[in-house]
Amino acid sequence: MNQSIIKYVIGKVMTIVGALMLLPIVTGIIYQEKEAFAYVIVGAASFLAGQLLSRKKPKNTMFYLKEGCVVTALTWILISIIGAIPFVLTGEIPNFIDAMFETSSGFTTTGSSILKNVEALSHTSLIWRSFTHWVGGMGVLVFLLAVIPMSGGSNINLMKAESPGPSVGKLAPKIRNSASILYKIYLGMTVLEIVLLLIAKMPLFDTLCISFGSAGTGGFGVRNDSCGSYTGLQQWITGIFCALFGVNFNFYYYILDREPKKSFKMEEVRTYFCIIFASTFLIFFNILPRFNTVESALRASFFQVSSIITTTGFSSVDFNLWPSFSKVILVALMFVGACAGSTGGGYKVSRLVIAIKTVIKEANSYIHPKSVKKIKMDGECVEHDVLRSINVYTITYLVIFVVSVLLVSIEGKDLVTTFTAVAATYNNIGPGLAAVGPSANFADLSYFSKIVLIFDMLSGRLELFPMLILFHPAVLKDVFLKKKALKATK
Amino acid sequence: MGIFSKDDPSEVKPLNIIIVGCGKVGRTLIAQLSKEGNDITIIDENAQKISDVTNEYDIMGIVGNGASYSLQKEAGIDDTDLLIAVTDSDELNLLCCTIATRIGKCSAIARVRNPEYSTELNYLRDRLGLAMIINPEMEAALEVARILYLPSALEVNSFAHGEAQMIKFKVDESSKLVGKAIYSVAKETKNLLFTTVFRDGQAIIPNGNFVFAAGDMVSFVTSRHYGKNALQSLGIPTFHVRDCMIIGGGKAAYYLAQQLIGENISVKIIERDEERCEQLSELLPNAIIINGDGTDAELLKEEGIETADAFVPLTGIDEENILLTLHAKQVSKAKIVTKINRFAFQDVINNLDLGSIVYPRIITSEAIIAYARAKRASMDSNIETLYHMYDDKVEAIEFRIGKPSPATGTPLKNLRLRGHVMVSFINRNGRIIFPTGEDTIEVGDTVMIVTTHTGFSDIVDILA
Repeated sequence: MNQSIIKYVIGKVMTIVGALMLLPIVTGIIYQEKEAFAYVIVGAASFLAGQLLSRKKPKNTMFYLKEGCVVTALTWILISIIGAIPFVLTGEIPNFIDAMFETSSGFTTTGSSILKNVEALSHTSLIWRSFTHWVGGMGVLVFLLAVIPMSGGSNINLMKAESPGPSVGKLAPKIRNSASILYKIYLGMTVLEIVLLLIAKMPLFDTLCISFGSAGTGGFGVRNDSCGSYTGLQQWITGIFCALFGVNFNFYYYILDREPKKSFKMEEVRTYFCIIFASTFLIFFNILPRFNTVESALRASFFQVSSIITTTGFSSVDFNLWPSFSKVILVALMFVGACAGSTGGGYKVSRLVIAIKTVIKEANSYIHPKSVKKIKMDGECVEHDVLRSINVYTITYLVIFVVSVLLVSIEGKDLVTTFTAVAATYNNIGPGLAAVGPSANFADLSYFSKIVLIFDMLSGRLELFPMLILFHPAVLKDVFLKKKALKATK
Repeated sequence: MGIFSKDDPSEVKPLNIIIVGCGKVGRTLIAQLSKEGNDITIIDENAQKISDVTNEYDIMGIVGNGASYSLQKEAGIDDTDLLIAVTDSDELNLLCCTIATRIGKCSAIARVRNPEYSTELNYLRDRLGLAMIINPEMEAALEVARILYLPSALEVNSFAHGEAQMIKFKVDESSKLVGKAIYSVAKETKNLLFTTVFRDGQAIIPNGNFVFAAGDMVSFVTSRHYGKNALQSLGIPTFHVRDCMIIGGGKAAYYLAQQLIGENISVKIIERDEERCEQLSELLPNAIIINGDGTDAELLKEEGIETADAFVPLTGIDEENILLTLHAKQVSKAKIVTKINRFAFQDVINNLDLGSIVYPRIITSEAIIAYARAKRASMDSNIETLYHMYDDKVEAIEFRIGKPSPATGTPLKNLRLRGHVMVSFINRNGRIIFPTGEDTIEVGDTVMIVTTHTGFSDIVDILA
């Protein structure tokens, strides 16, 4: 294990996190809130410590997959801790576990909150909370790759570990260019949403927070009723942008690259929109009797479908009160998740499409036992390795899920609460149903459950394996014991 | 703010390069060209190779047939500056390049190895509109032949279309050079210039006060006809190779035999495959073709390895070549040149003290990289030749001077050169000038630079 490069990257990440705290600091100055001091202290400390850690560029810049995974997992744990400190210092979330839950929920773009009264928070902390979504959406390491020239080609392993989806392709030959293309698209779309929401007369502060939340598919609101009190137009804009941020970013790249044909060939994106339309349609008819106008029913159903499938987790109404049929659709959507290569979480549409195709193939093989058929996606054969990794992913996904539900159930909440609490955090959505529904929050869970859910959020965001690898005995030994071994040989 | 600083190595725009074929040469090219900051896309039909290489280097990989129009489109042929085809198949390479030059506006380089095309390479290149056709086996054979003409040298590289040579030799303990400074050696010799000394893993561009020690590897440049005399004047005994034993009858062996027979050196080729032996005897009526196992010590003895002047193992297996070399060193005094195809375990090879080694793969990639660098720099300046020496620690580059620049027209002593740079010779209309401080670089010259810096792409790079 190349420890010096791990240290170097972590140092760079700390520097960046320190720099990112400028946004809440500026906000604090504008609103003249004393909470800004906490961010000044933590931001400066993180910046300096980061500079110190990364001041010397390591000689050996070789990066293998395991280093990529370990760096990614450590980075995400670390930024959740650093980001949580200001909440504790300002006294807004006095307990550290609570603060860490809130921050990792932010960075992993989950949007589950332990705050009973969001509106009581200072503007400084509110914008930091939402900003963590934006940073976490595309990934802090991808950001690192975009802004810092890293020599050595093996950095692809960083991107692989952090980017969602079964396979990671580059858009440009150099990883730095690929990363900056992604961030440019991301930034461009966020700015577009901000402009549109401002035109729709949303206050600037809300606009920023909501845009950050939907861009990262996070879901922290700034009001207690999430998006309920916004106007119809504002909800439409937010809902549509949520759906757009859940699309594979290659889709936009191809369009910008003047190859729209390739964009529309993407099976994943087509399936994704089909699922959105079908679910909206079903829920719309199911909840129509409860609404006064067709428009409001359509808006509520679309907003909720888009918000849940992209794993954003905003809510415009309390869907906990909807009929079971609609609720079950929403829970199913929680597991489907957004497209690979987007900012959303969940199981990912592309995996689902391939998994269903394998099932169909298996069924066919009962009829023609000797038939040979390759599974195709976007007109190209899916490699056997990809199929295998999807199967393994599915099993791991289920095992972690079941174990988490079991662990959370210890404290004795009802089944729906327990089940959806895990589903909502594991898939990075935000609100669940019943006691963790859109009008409630995660505050009443025990600290043990919160720690389990923090782990779920992180492993869900990083697609399981980076987090699991971190606890692999060989890696633990490497990370913590390597230094001694070196000294012994000297 | 440290984190947003850019430390781009050069402000020159990177080239978009497509490489077709991810074999030994392909990988060498990727390593070097991506280190120099170019945007590289690799195409190969083997998905595993692509995934390996994209994990190791910062490049994009595409799986498929590089000669397919739609695949080249997908790889972005429209914005590509250079396509390099180095697959196993000559015909596929030519097809890739032909298609690329038709649909894109890029230059194309193909590797063509089949001896049947070897006499037609220039015709093919011009007719198909390619920038370069490269034949590594032939180049390797030429390099072996150059070394055999000067058997006391470890390495002989040619510059200025063969008018000048860079010769590498090792200073023995008994050498008269030991303990002497360059300026005093220079009094006794003429027409040569010491360019590089390699000592304890360090490459040094020496000045006049440098003192030689035993074990130094020394390179100097001299003109073509003076090589033998130069070595003699340095107190290095030279002899004339009259017969040569070649193990393995592959393409390189054929080219080498052809060269050597042309110089009246008698050639003996030992080849395992009977059919190939018959082909060779048809192609090379003046050579002695032995059908037998070249790794059989008895056979080698029978065929006179102990008395041979030169011994060249050219089999396709590096391990065999190395073992044959070590064996030959023990049983004979022959001059040995070893061909090594792969480049793994370079440190081990260095420690074995094999003597002269040629790397066909490096010869190929050097020629291509020289072209890519020149293309990246500007249209008026060009790199004629490029050699990497001493484990890539030293580059010897020959620039063609196409236009006036700050480096031209001024006596060298008035130019502010960078450290670790030496102007080794100036080739003016085929006349080799070993420059003194009074000489100037003029438009139309070619100038050879030896430097421990890497990545020079224009003559002005030598200026501080």
